[in-house]
Formats: sequence, C-alpha cells, structure tokens
Amino acid sequence: MTGLMMKDLLVMRKALKSYFLIIAFYAVLAWMDILNFGFIITFIQVMLMVLPISAFAYDDQAKWDRYAMSLPLGRSKVVGARYLFVLLLSLCTLALGLGGAAFSCMFQQEDLLEMLLTLIVSAAIGLLIPALLLPVTYKWGPERARIYLYAMLLIPFVGFLLLAKADLIDFSTLNRLGTLPPTVLIGGMALLPLGALAALFVSYFISCRVVAGKEY
Amino acid sequence: MTNCIEIKGLCKSYGDFALKNIDLTLPGGSILGLIGENGAGKTTTIKCILNLIRRDSGEITLLGYDNVREERLAKADVGLVLDECFFHDTLRPLDVAKILAPAYKNWDGELFRSYLNKFGLPEKKLIKEFSRGMKMKLSLSAALAHRPRLLILDEATAGLDPVVRDEILDEFLGFIQDEDHAILMSSHITSDLEKVADYIAYIHQGEVVLSDAKDSILDSYGRVGCTAAQLEAIDPHDILRTRRGSFGCEALVKDRAAFSRKYPMLLVERTTLEDIMLFVGKGEEK
Repeated sequence: MTGLMMKDLLVMRKALKSYFLIIAFYAVLAWMDILNFGFIITFIQVMLMVLPISAFAYDDQAKWDRYAMSLPLGRSKVVGARYLFVLLLSLCTLALGLGGAAFSCMFQQEDLLEMLLTLIVSAAIGLLIPALLLPVTYKWGPERARIYLYAMLLIPFVGFLLLAKADLIDFSTLNRLGTLPPTVLIGGMALLPLGALAALFVSYFISCRVVAGKEY
Repeated sequence: MTNCIEIKGLCKSYGDFALKNIDLTLPGGSILGLIGENGAGKTTTIKCILNLIRRDSGEITLLGYDNVREERLAKADVGLVLDECFFHDTLRPLDVAKILAPAYKNWDGELFRSYLNKFGLPEKKLIKEFSRGMKMKLSLSAALAHRPRLLILDEATAGLDPVVRDEILDEFLGFIQDEDHAILMSSHITSDLEKVADYIAYIHQGEVVLSDAKDSILDSYGRVGCTAAQLEAIDPHDILRTRRGSFGCEALVKDRAAFSRKYPMLLVERTTLEDIMLFVGKGEEK
C-alpha cells in the first residue's frame, strides 16, 4: 500500500512542487499584507479537491488500474492507498495552515481564532469533498467526476443563495457564533473535520464495494 | 510437482462473446504458448487468471493457490508483462522500484538494477523518453525483480524488432531453466512460440481447439498442396480443414505420416503454427 501511495506522490511530484511554490509565493504576499490568510486556505482547499481527480486521470492515461489490480495486494488495498494519499495531503495542508497561522499571529498580530476557524472549516471541506468524490470517480471515472465536482460546489452555493433570497435562511444568525467563548467555538467546530473524517471512512467502504464489482 | 497453472472448465460470457470450458495446464519448467486471432479470448483468459474479471464458472489455481479465494498468495510469485507498459510517463525506472518494492515480499532491488543494466536502461531517464522496446524491457525487469516462479506475458513481444525480441526470448529460456519456473505466453508472433514454447494452446472463438506439446503438433500436423480434383478425392475424415485459392487447394492433416502412407501421390509438408491458425481461422471443413 505504501508503494501505491508513493506512486501517487511520484507521479504528481511536479504538480505538488508547483503547488507548494505557489503557496510559498502567496505566503510571502500574505506576509506583505497583499493577500490575506483566507485566500491561501481557499487555494489549498481547491488544490485538495483537484489532486485526487488528477491522480485518477494520470492512472487512466497509463492504464495503471489493470496493473495495480494484478499486484498481490487485493482491491481494497489499492483503494486504501488512494484514501491514504488524500489523508496525507490533508495532513500536509493542515500542517502548512497551522504553520501559516502561527507565523501570522507572531509577526502580524492577526486574529488567531478567526484563522483557526477558517482552517478547521477548510480541513472539513477538504476531507468531505474527496469523501463524496472518490466513490463517484471509482464508479464513473475522472472525466465525469469533474462534472460531479462542479455540481457539488455549485448546487449548495446556488441552493444557499436561493434560500437566502427567499428569506428562508438568515445568515445573520451566524453572527451569534461570535458571542460564544472561543474554546466552545473551536471545540464545536472541531467536530466538523471529525465528521468529515468519518464520512471519508464510510466513503472508503463504498469505494471498495464499487471496485469489487468492477472488471479491469 | 504442483502445476504452475491449472484451469478447469473456465467459462465467461459477455453476451456476444464467450469463453467456453477452457481447460489448460502449465507444468513447471515449461512455456505454454497461447495463440489465437484477435478477440479469440486469449486476453480474457489471462484476465480471468489474474482475477481482473469475474469468471462465470470454472476453477483456476496459480502455483497451487486458488486465484480468487487465495488471491494474494496466488499472485505473490507471479511476474506480469502485459501488452503495454503501465508505468506512468513521468516516472523513472528507479521510481518503479520504489513503487513495487513494498508490494512484493521478495523484491530484490539489486536484481532490478542488474536487469536495468543488462537491458541498457538508464535508471534516471523518464519513461516517456523510452522506446517501445525499452518499455517492454522495463516491464520485464520489474516482473523478474521479485524472483517470481511464474511469468504471465500477454503480447509482450508485440511490436518489438527481431533483435529485442530475440534478447527477451533468451531471457525467458534462461528463466525456465529452473524446473520450478514456468511461463504462460500469449502471442500473435507464432515464430517466437515455435522458438521457445513447450506447449501450445490455440484458442478460437472462445474455445481451445488445439492443446498439445509443440513438438508433437509440429511433428504430426501437415499441409497438403493439391488440385481441387485431388482434394475431392480425399476422404473427409483424413483432413481437418481446407483452403481453396486461385492457384490450387490446401488441406491440413493431423497425422502427416499416416496421410502420406494412405495418399503416396500427394506431397505433405511440415506445417507451422501460423499455417494451423490460417487453416482454422480462414479455412473450412471439407
């Protein structure tokens, strides 16, 4: 399984290097007060959504799946390696985010609470999207998964917009979160990535089921 | 000694195409050549062996292990070279070692590097810069580096020039010097199989129509060249297939010596695997 994770890293090393260089560049811009921290977090989040689909696209191009399924690993381990790769990316970006947050607080007196909340929500979305997307990609392939990704992003956005326009949802209630003590707020929000992690776990079993029924 | 591959009653249906009751046995220390036209069922058989597709019925054991129930054990000592190189273009040969080493408990990094050297493959060159021959050599190096006991090759020599093919065939012959080793080799290049195979199985429209020792096939089967009138005079029981052309007729016979004794006026020549394929694929029954 570690070999397959290594494969994803090696295949995408060029893309990963570019992403990290861009993040470093953005970090410098944030330090110079040209960009804010939230923008970098959003960029990382987008990167997290795109990379697993890219991994599938690269595998499709090389027809790798047929070879991988021929290895003495079993299908569940091949799937597991892809999920571990996603987790590894999430951990790396979380570590980057925490480092960035600490740096900003020390040198720029930014609001630590706001940055941590942004990071927590971003980590949760970064885990939730692959949790939804990976079984879809295993079932229908990376090309169609991209369409589902856009749908996943667009439908909730349009939905919230319509609900807000129809006065069925009141975003001002979110302001009440500011009245909560920081520890309660962070503790409560920390449930989001944990929930997303649980969703990723369930998603793994769904993907295993999809792959078990596939022919290569 | 356990057979390296045993297939009994393998059936797999796709609706418009079906593998029907495939029985194959590959003893240790030998090479089994799988021949057949495009779409005859060779690759489907190999996919069933590797559990890449679900069989409808039948049993397959690899090195004594059931290929579905004991999949990991069955595949642990199998080396695989398929018709394409499955390694991503952006990888380098040394990356392949990093990927495959954890997958095989017997992976030998030094052996892999020695194969790279032997085949003249640069360790740090991108795979996208490799020729087809180099890619196949890389696949073969990866397949051999975990010291497998069974090699499964699906059109591994297709598209390679004769020099590279000869080099790879030599490697196969070296591999089966160990009586514990065996190779299943599917190929369209029947001359390669005539060089190295011990057994031949011919799959035609999803069925094994011929399965025997190669020497026995080449020693007994024969090709008769004759006129249409002479062909009409031959007892249909004495010939397997016929082909009629503008310059005359040809017939495939199973027992060359017996046919010569019965029809001394007709010349019976040795046949090749390609001839047999052409008779079965394009010929007709008398």
